Amino acid sequence: MTPRGPLRFGPISPAAPGPLYEQIVSAVKREIAAGRLLPGAPLPSVRALAAELLVSLITIKRAYEELERDGIIYSRQGLGTFVADTGADEIARAGLEQARESMAQAVRDGRAAGLSDKDLIDSLKKEL
Amino acid sequence: MADALALKGVTRRLGKFVLGPLDLEVPRGGVTALIGRNGAGKTTTLDLLMGMGRADAGAIEVLGLAMPRDEVAIRQRVAYVNPDISFQAWGKVGRALDFVSGFYPDWSQPRCDALLSAFGIARGERIAALSFGARIKLSLVMALARDAELLLLDEPAVGLDVEARRKLFSEILDFVRRDDRAVVISSHQLSDLERVADHVAIIDAGRLVLFSRMDRLVERFTLLDARLATVGAMPSLDGVKLLTREGERLRLLFDRDCARLDQLAPAGIEILSETSMTLEEIFVALVGGEN
Repeated sequence: MTPRGPLRFGPISPAAPGPLYEQIVSAVKREIAAGRLLPGAPLPSVRALAAELLVSLITIKRAYEELERDGIIYSRQGLGTFVADTGADEIARAGLEQARESMAQAVRDGRAAGLSDKDLIDSLKKEL
Repeated sequence: MADALALKGVTRRLGKFVLGPLDLEVPRGGVTALIGRNGAGKTTTLDLLMGMGRADAGAIEVLGLAMPRDEVAIRQRVAYVNPDISFQAWGKVGRALDFVSGFYPDWSQPRCDALLSAFGIARGERIAALSFGARIKLSLVMALARDAELLLLDEPAVGLDVEARRKLFSEILDFVRRDDRAVVISSHQLSDLERVADHVAIIDAGRLVLFSRMDRLVERFTLLDARLATVGAMPSLDGVKLLTREGERLRLLFDRDCARLDQLAPAGIEILSETSMTLEEIFVALVGGEN
């Protein structure tokens, strides 16, 4: 267990893209990926976080449900909600999958535009 | 535990206006937005819940208690914030608070003092000299200084600046940190309500148009930009409401609960784009006109 620090959620705004609960899902993932929320660390209760972020209880419940479904957090009746031991792994795995998919798409786009494999590798090197 | 509110077949006639028959169940443990155009029946409904006016027919239960039979018990457990309530007769803020506090065994003076300072009101201020916004703040202090189970708020954001509105919604969400409590709030600030309310009840011309979880509502309705492939009138389809038409171009309100997108092409409607909608856009599309 780690001591609970303040969660560094960015501004949660109806003007930002995507539903509010997705913004909260991303914010929690960001905190875990950055190592500011460690395995076993408690998350604020649904009602406390709703009051802190000024969003409805349902918004927070839904975000927590989604994180729990993805194995990033877990809840224990009466105890609260915690970061799963494998939470950071799940986020890293999802990030890797996303990166691979983006690269595959880049290769398809490049070939469609007539680039050779060498051109593609050079482009990737430039990005790196 | 009984629901926060349960209305069955409630009607109330006020001159030409008829409320109901209204059936509505509001659960505890969250915030419910009550929205409708001016004159739709929002205030009439809230007044009935507090015994300010009697229903002509139907049954009203508040926190499991029957109105009007248990009116005194209901008033003890429900706090009502309403811009029409005036405390001018008491002269100064402090005297009005002392008077009101005497009625409620659950009144917390430290809580009252904290709220006064949070909302920037002094006990020595003359009530007659308070702005409209400040009078609403005083009404909020009176409601929140008690340990009520149900908070009814009729247009509490009118006349409040951005900071005071923030404070208001923060107090509301703090109030429902206990899951046996509930808040019902009517407001024209639909973007605020979309953000903080768990459920939404839309009323129009005295009738309930729909009651839904807020997140389900914004997922249920979308806006379609479409083109009518055939000449003449738009075919009538369940779950598809024509909002505007210019020549062959159509703007449609699409209800995913009642229709599927693939039903449109066979009816001669070509979809150009589909966009999600805010609560305000859905409200205007459903009941029309200005809120």
